[in-house]
Amino acid sequence: MRAVDIFIQQILNGLSIASVITLIAVGVTLIFGLTGIINFAHGEFLMIGGIVTWLAVSAGLSFPLAAVLAILAVGLMGYGLERGIFRFTLERPTNGFIVSLGLIVVLQHVVVLFWNPNQKSIPRPLTTVWEVGGVRIASVRVMVILITIAVVALSFRMITASRYGRALRASVEDRDTAALMGIPVRRYITGVFVLGSALAGLGGALLIALFPITPFTGGTMVMKGFAVALIGGLGNIYGAVAAGLILGIVEGFSAGYGFSQWTDAYSFVLMILVLLFRPHGLFGGTSGPRMAS
Amino acid sequence: MKTVLKMGVSAAFCLGTLANPAFAQDADNIVKIGVVAAESGSFVSAGHTLPAGVGLAVKQINDAGGIKVGGKVYKLEMVKRDDRTDIATAIAATQELVRDVKVQAIFGSETHDFTLAMAKITQPAKIVHFAGNSTLAKILTPDTVKAGGEDHYLFQSEPQEFQRSGSTARGVLTLLEPLLGYKPKKSVMIVGNDATGQFLSSYYFKALKAEGQDVPDIIFYPPDTTDFSPFLTRAKSLNPDIIHFWYNGDSTLTALPQALELGAAKSYFLFGVDPGIWKEKALSADVPVAMSCVPVCWGESSNPKAKAYFDAYFAAGAPHGVTSSVSLLYHDYVHFLAEAWEKAGSFDPDKTVEALLSIHHQGVVSDDLTFNPTHQVTHATEVCAAAPGGDISCSMQQPPADAPKS
Repeated sequence: MRAVDIFIQQILNGLSIASVITLIAVGVTLIFGLTGIINFAHGEFLMIGGIVTWLAVSAGLSFPLAAVLAILAVGLMGYGLERGIFRFTLERPTNGFIVSLGLIVVLQHVVVLFWNPNQKSIPRPLTTVWEVGGVRIASVRVMVILITIAVVALSFRMITASRYGRALRASVEDRDTAALMGIPVRRYITGVFVLGSALAGLGGALLIALFPITPFTGGTMVMKGFAVALIGGLGNIYGAVAAGLILGIVEGFSAGYGFSQWTDAYSFVLMILVLLFRPHGLFGGTSGPRMAS
Repeated sequence: MKTVLKMGVSAAFCLGTLANPAFAQDADNIVKIGVVAAESGSFVSAGHTLPAGVGLAVKQINDAGGIKVGGKVYKLEMVKRDDRTDIATAIAATQELVRDVKVQAIFGSETHDFTLAMAKITQPAKIVHFAGNSTLAKILTPDTVKAGGEDHYLFQSEPQEFQRSGSTARGVLTLLEPLLGYKPKKSVMIVGNDATGQFLSSYYFKALKAEGQDVPDIIFYPPDTTDFSPFLTRAKSLNPDIIHFWYNGDSTLTALPQALELGAAKSYFLFGVDPGIWKEKALSADVPVAMSCVPVCWGESSNPKAKAYFDAYFAAGAPHGVTSSVSLLYHDYVHFLAEAWEKAGSFDPDKTVEALLSIHHQGVVSDDLTFNPTHQVTHATEVCAAAPGGDISCSMQQPPADAPKS
């Protein structure tokens, strides 16, 4: 295999890593950046999305239908948790953070209890592998990249150009004034939480299309999601995409050419540096969760 | 008034029950053995096999009437604790089992560095401790295991790593050669970068070199990696005959489909992946794939005793796991320990150790399980290979007598 083929292959590898991370990061950046809820159980939402997809595919449903079910199920779960738990922590984000840590253990063990701790996988929804020169491109990875681009573009459009998005951003700037202007702030917060959760559901469906998952898959993914969200700038979808891309390429190249065992460390070193020198992220964002209004 | 009467009757009943010699004897005749294992967290697929294997042995012993020690019959009771793949939890669980539950013996954990920490608690307390991990070789020396030594009560229920690596490497190369149609010369290892991965791979690297392999790179990946494509692309650039995924089984099963997609090598070896999982998941490959079990496979074993064992193991409710066979590193040793207690005629830890070192135990893994003077066992490892068409063949590989010269 020629060196140039290896190089191109590593760029393609980086893109697919970036797409999954970006999808998580967009959910994190929306929820954390726009509502102030620090939901560290977001990775478990992703895992539940994967489990729902696995259950649906095992029951004979097609992958697209299973993915839709995962989006709906995790979105509904997000609605229930926001209305039932997180809304009571909005004035005290630290409480919400602790609650989310507890949720990690609860959600993991509920899945272990009903479906055992072993790996779950589904047959690949697309199996074609294209070979261009010496480079191999798996169609399922291309599918994941394209879906991520479409979903992120839609979310970006919604946040930046829609009436809902403008109202949401106004709420982030000043909740009280936004409320006085007639914006139903609490309902918008619920909406963002449900949207972020649904994205995690989709992420889980896409993840299990690529790799097997376990009840404990969420942990690493959410750490990277938070890192990307912070590097890109909280609440900044464009920033999350750019940071996800940077991280994906950095991880791909470090594994391919550098000290492979340090691959994960690069993400977090980059996050620390960005937080030190650009506290609002590389591309600017909200100031993150406000402790009390 | 009624409530007072009820309370009085209840209290009298409780006191009467406690004073009853039969009740007291029942409590006295229970011998508790502890299990510390990862029933959750990243090491769960191997971890949950420990209580399953120990629990099955305890049930078998109790169903057969228990153990007879010093003229009295005792039943065994397993007390298990989940270490959550977290070393602090493992240490706390061990302390609880030793100091509060007062177990007579401890099994686990399967996570190598955890066991080293646990031994710091079990050994001063003179608790007989079995762990199926080869890292114990670091501390099991003639000086430490002698009477009065700091690890006198610690036993390694897995062969020394040079033995396991040696038999595995030889088995992999032997089984893959006819399937490849030529003698493989170049190998690349892909290994999880944790204490266990680093330890195991250092031995396997030497074993491959001893078999004449050119090993240009050992590629370490961070634990919990799911996307292996950059690591595999790096391996592919070296044009290997075999990529060896050495540890752990779950990661390996995640990596293999990606390796096949990338066409990373001409053949693969998956450490700790049972051919039973290969068949159950209907896996397939267009190139030969070797697998090894720790120590005997449940899916396609060439060991006649293994089938009966795994039938009972799965019938007891244990899930079909990628490394279900790890349970055998514990199951056999509960029976071994029971035999030692019977032979010693006592639960005294020193007499128990003496008995353990003198017994030739008939287990599932081997008809002649014995501990050497440094408290380590020797037995074969089963290696299998799946041909591109799907046929799987397995063979037990005997370990080399000596470690390769480094």
